[in-house]
Amino acid sequence: MRDFVVVGLSHRTAPVEVRERLAVAPKDLGRELREIAADTGFEEALLISTCNRVELYTTSANPLEATQEAKGMLAKRLGEAAGEGILYQERGVDVVRHVFRVASSLDSLVVGEPQILGQVKEAFDAANEAGTMGTLLGRCFTQAFATAKRVRNETGIAEGTVSVSSIACELAKKIFGNLEGRRTLLLGAGEMGESAARSLRQTGTNLHVINRSEERAQALAKACDGRAVPYERLSIELADADVVIASTASPKFILTPELMKGVVRTRRHRPLFIIDIAVPRDVDPRVGNMDNVFVYDVDDLQQVAEENLAVRAREASLAERIIEDEVESFLSWRRSLELAPTIVALRKRFGQVAEDELRRALPRLQSLSGQDRAVLEAMSRSLVNKLLHQPMTELKAGAGEPDGALLIDAVRRLFALAEEEAAREETSTQPNTEAAITQLTAAATGPTGESK
Amino acid sequence: MKAGLFIATAALYAIACILYLFQLTRGSEKAPRLPGTVFVAALGAHLAFLLLEGPSPGELPLADMAQILSISSFGIGIAFLLASYRMNVTILGAFVAPLSLMLFLASGLGSSYAPVPPRVQSVVLTLHIVANIMGLVAFALAFVAGVAYLVQERLLRRRQLTGAFQRLPSLGVLDTIGLRSVLVGFPLLTFGMVTGTFWLVRSGGAQFYVSQALGLVAWGIFAGVIVLRVAAGWQGRKAAVGTMLGFLFTLLVLLGYAVRAAGGGA
Repeated sequence: MRDFVVVGLSHRTAPVEVRERLAVAPKDLGRELREIAADTGFEEALLISTCNRVELYTTSANPLEATQEAKGMLAKRLGEAAGEGILYQERGVDVVRHVFRVASSLDSLVVGEPQILGQVKEAFDAANEAGTMGTLLGRCFTQAFATAKRVRNETGIAEGTVSVSSIACELAKKIFGNLEGRRTLLLGAGEMGESAARSLRQTGTNLHVINRSEERAQALAKACDGRAVPYERLSIELADADVVIASTASPKFILTPELMKGVVRTRRHRPLFIIDIAVPRDVDPRVGNMDNVFVYDVDDLQQVAEENLAVRAREASLAERIIEDEVESFLSWRRSLELAPTIVALRKRFGQVAEDELRRALPRLQSLSGQDRAVLEAMSRSLVNKLLHQPMTELKAGAGEPDGALLIDAVRRLFALAEEEAAREETSTQPNTEAAITQLTAAATGPTGESK
Repeated sequence: MKAGLFIATAALYAIACILYLFQLTRGSEKAPRLPGTVFVAALGAHLAFLLLEGPSPGELPLADMAQILSISSFGIGIAFLLASYRMNVTILGAFVAPLSLMLFLASGLGSSYAPVPPRVQSVVLTLHIVANIMGLVAFALAFVAGVAYLVQERLLRRRQLTGAFQRLPSLGVLDTIGLRSVLVGFPLLTFGMVTGTFWLVRSGGAQFYVSQALGLVAWGIFAGVIVLRVAAGWQGRKAAVGTMLGFLFTLLVLLGYAVRAAGGGA
């Protein structure tokens, strides 16, 4: 029976110096996958590479061997950095659960961060293009996307942002509503200030940059797609801005109550959001008491980040339940693909038809002797066997292939074989097969129709 | 039948209140449409109640205090639904539903409200009442936006950014709703006051009642809010507080009428 294997490393097991050795740029994923497939002979392979994790997924009829092979290959690439416990591995259902958790951002450094889903989708597309995507990985990842969507919709795991830049953007949105066409003023050249300014710029605000050093202002403005403004215009710029990011290296307050009083008057009480990222602070705390002026400093933003993280942690337990739910549904699809029950069910279906027809025909053939009847019965059995011989051979041979699951799936759908038909046969005799058939077909067609 | 419908309407409003408040504070994502659905159901029951309640023949509609309160409550609900679909502020139901419920319950105290005697009824009076009800509805929306603004601003200043803060609209949107509602309500109030005075003079009652005085105060407050918003660029908290104050005075006008109708001699 083919099964899943994953080998990889993440922020949980390896520091960034180690992770970066394995990292693969998105555009190189396809090439890398083809190489891996050529080196190892893996029929299915998918490579996720983000700044926090590199993971190689594959399926194999011999999972243990495949694990060793994949591990060996990654270790070789790591070189001397490959220490004990850096590479982790999972097999079977644990891989499915792992994929679902990764895509749902439960395994992320910042739980609930939204980028990971896109990165997993990228990896999925790359594997599709490289031709290393088979039925099992395909189905597993397709369901992982659906799971991630469910987690996002049904829990608050992605609620509230957790990085200083995005919190600044979020707050600005909560103050002004629409940020389109608003103006951000970046004061100073701190790194965090720059990243906050970039984030705000992306939401559609205009950006003006002021710095004591004109050159620095020019460079920053260019880097962040903004406009440099001379320092002398500070109070005019303050009056025109909607969001001010202060991140200068000044030892004393730059935005003092005296300065801001005049500014507030000129701006005619329009709301002003000041983000003070500088340490020591640039904004006198008294400014925050002024009407329609909202001041947040680094500690405030940090605290918001921590609170949001706490909320996410609470929601994560809800998300884990969804994951288990989805893993269960994946497993039941998986079970339906097992060869033995399919063969049993197929035989039973054919045998049933032959028997029914025989039973219907015999009463009308009263003239037949007992011997004649025996001949007829033997013929019907042999007919079934002959008809099934070729499909059975193909099925047994094909089930071991990478697309074997697809073949079994096709057979089950062609002959409407219910998922638990074979299993139930032994345990109970409830005449409930029809319901099981409809259920299975719904479950089997839904996601298959979704995948490309 | 009537009593049953009244209780059903009030109960639905109350359930909607609880659901909205729960959604505001707990943010249950499971049934995001449930509070709105219950609120619409409450409005449906309310409409049925209003139709059943309808004026008896020969009686001027809208002349009874109880009816005015009931219709105002209904109008606020409808206006809120329109606003919430336009501006995506369904969560404001957490403030609208309690207001609707209170006005509706107040209308149920109707037994003490005497209708305006038929001899003083006229078209002008009807115009006066209709305009004032519509104005009241607009100011109620402004009031709700103001309350939400103050709550939201308080949360922002106290750095309580999880929960309700996430669900409430932005300060900018709330301020806009407040401004637009007052701009709609003010001409209606003005028209209502002019027609009211005209009717009062024509029907021969030239005395100056408390309600008229309160009405003037409310009118003055709203005029002030508009002038300061337009001329001095007032925004945010001060504008919100002014608007809320104006609405409270318009409610006092109604109270004044109610007391007088009940024979309080105001």
